[in-house]
Amino acid sequence: MSAKPYGLIATFDNTPDVYHAAEKVRDAGYKNWDCITPFPIHGLDRAMGVKRSKVPPFSLAGGLLGFTTGMLLIFWTSAVDYRLIVGGKPYFSPLYAFPVSYELTILFTAFATIGGMFFLNGLPMHYHPVLKSDKILSGMDDKFHIVIESSDPKFNLANTKALLEQAGGKDIEELEA
Amino acid sequence: MSTHAATAPAALPSESTSSPCACKALGVGVAGIVLTIIGLFVSDGHAVALSWLTGVTFWTAIAIGMLMLVMIHHILDASWSVVVRRQFEHGLAAFPWLALLFAPLVVVSWMGSHDYIWTWMNPDAVIHGGHTVGHDPLYVKKAGFLNLEMFTAMTALCFIIWIWLSARLRKASFAQDADGDLKWTLMNRKTAAFGLALGAITLTLASIYWIKSLEYHWFSTMFGVWFFSNAVRGALSVGVLLMLWLYNRGDLKGILNTNQLYSIGMLIFAFTVFWAYVTFSQYFLIWNANVPEETFWYNLREITKEGEFSQWGWVGMVILFGHFLLPFLYLLSYRNKITHTRIKPIVIWILLIIAIDLIYNIAPALKADHGHGDPLPFLSINLLWTATSIIGVGGVFFWAYLKSFPKAKLIPIRDPRINECLTHHE
Repeated sequence: MSAKPYGLIATFDNTPDVYHAAEKVRDAGYKNWDCITPFPIHGLDRAMGVKRSKVPPFSLAGGLLGFTTGMLLIFWTSAVDYRLIVGGKPYFSPLYAFPVSYELTILFTAFATIGGMFFLNGLPMHYHPVLKSDKILSGMDDKFHIVIESSDPKFNLANTKALLEQAGGKDIEELEA
Repeated sequence: MSTHAATAPAALPSESTSSPCACKALGVGVAGIVLTIIGLFVSDGHAVALSWLTGVTFWTAIAIGMLMLVMIHHILDASWSVVVRRQFEHGLAAFPWLALLFAPLVVVSWMGSHDYIWTWMNPDAVIHGGHTVGHDPLYVKKAGFLNLEMFTAMTALCFIIWIWLSARLRKASFAQDADGDLKWTLMNRKTAAFGLALGAITLTLASIYWIKSLEYHWFSTMFGVWFFSNAVRGALSVGVLLMLWLYNRGDLKGILNTNQLYSIGMLIFAFTVFWAYVTFSQYFLIWNANVPEETFWYNLREITKEGEFSQWGWVGMVILFGHFLLPFLYLLSYRNKITHTRIKPIVIWILLIIAIDLIYNIAPALKADHGHGDPLPFLSINLLWTATSIIGVGGVFFWAYLKSFPKAKLIPIRDPRINECLTHHE
């Protein structure tokens, strides 16, 4: 085993245990840690102190960009680059640029949302130290785990282990980096 | 992110009396109606009739929106909205009273004052160009649809269908409070299945007869959809106000959580976009096709006969930015949807702008020079009668709601989806 472990993994038997343990880890001030559960647990994000997603600003930026692109596209093509009177209408009117702008708003919002999501969560990730541990198998089946990473500023092998034990964690192991 | 309803609601039976409020609401209603009647002696009868039409249509639209939302809830087997649904069911109690309040408009039409409200009811009315309605090809072709008998029958049919659907939905839901039988849920699902179709047809018919036919030359296939989007958005806004009122009174403490508000806020947002889509489509298609039988409707609302930008043009701008852009940007934010003090002002604004939208669609039918001049301006004494009408009918609406309130439990406690609703999660 290398000198510095990736982190510590603790096992919990049921939902309330992992839920309350998460609250303790949150209150202890840890930032780089996560829960591994076989199914979504309502309210766990709050127990972990996870803030709301930061994706919405990306979506908004994408939407505004899409709308402007649509308007400028129609303006450029019909009022500047190739002026043509169609149906007695003005060279440019926001009215007929609207359907295009509207569609581009939706398209660019969708792209920005997906892109922003991948940018923020760091996916796709081809390797993660947790996958090396056998625990991940039970974490996908019938057990609950908390992983605290050693990259956390508060991480201290002895103290963190004590915290997990005190929070009710069993079978605490070091994860190989 | 949910505030789990761990603390069981203590006051489940709504023994908290609502009668003092009910009397107050009725008082406001009667006051509004009396003021509108006084208006008959101050202003032209035609103007007051159109104001009354606006008032009744506004609250009928909200009741229709509630009806559609309850049925959409049942057909989709929605769980998050079980608690909100009960408030809508109480609101449905207003339909018989709305029918009663609409009746004067039909009676006046039968009494021979045909030109009071809908021009096409009077075949001898002289229209633009010098000939009469009875010789107007655009009327003759529509005469099978636009005649007094059909108008009366269809209006009656609409109200009968709404009252009947409401009675069925309410009966089943309230009966389930007592016995918890699953058959009531299934019955409501069946009612919703055919009721949604009936509701869509009747609300389209009503909007065409009551509002669109004020300018019977005009065509718009979007009109029923426009009315529906306003109706549902208004109902959701009233729903939010009722939920907040009950929460502040203490009834819904521990029941109403942020996720239900978030969901209802998202629906209001969705219908903001839907309204804009429909309204823009209507304008855009008419603008693009440039057919006189259609463009005149917007000309009346934008320019005077001399071609100057009119007061109605500004009202149109207020609707464009206030009905769409402002609520759109405001409701994008998560916090604005879940914070009580932030969602409240926007739903009140939305209700106000829906009223302005209805006025924009109805009031310009009233024109100077016995119907041959420009539409009377937005800011006039008629706006006062519109306000008193909306307040008057609104008082009766909430009186009906409050009278129904003690008839059932505060929330549908034996609905099979109630637990899912109380712990509703994003």
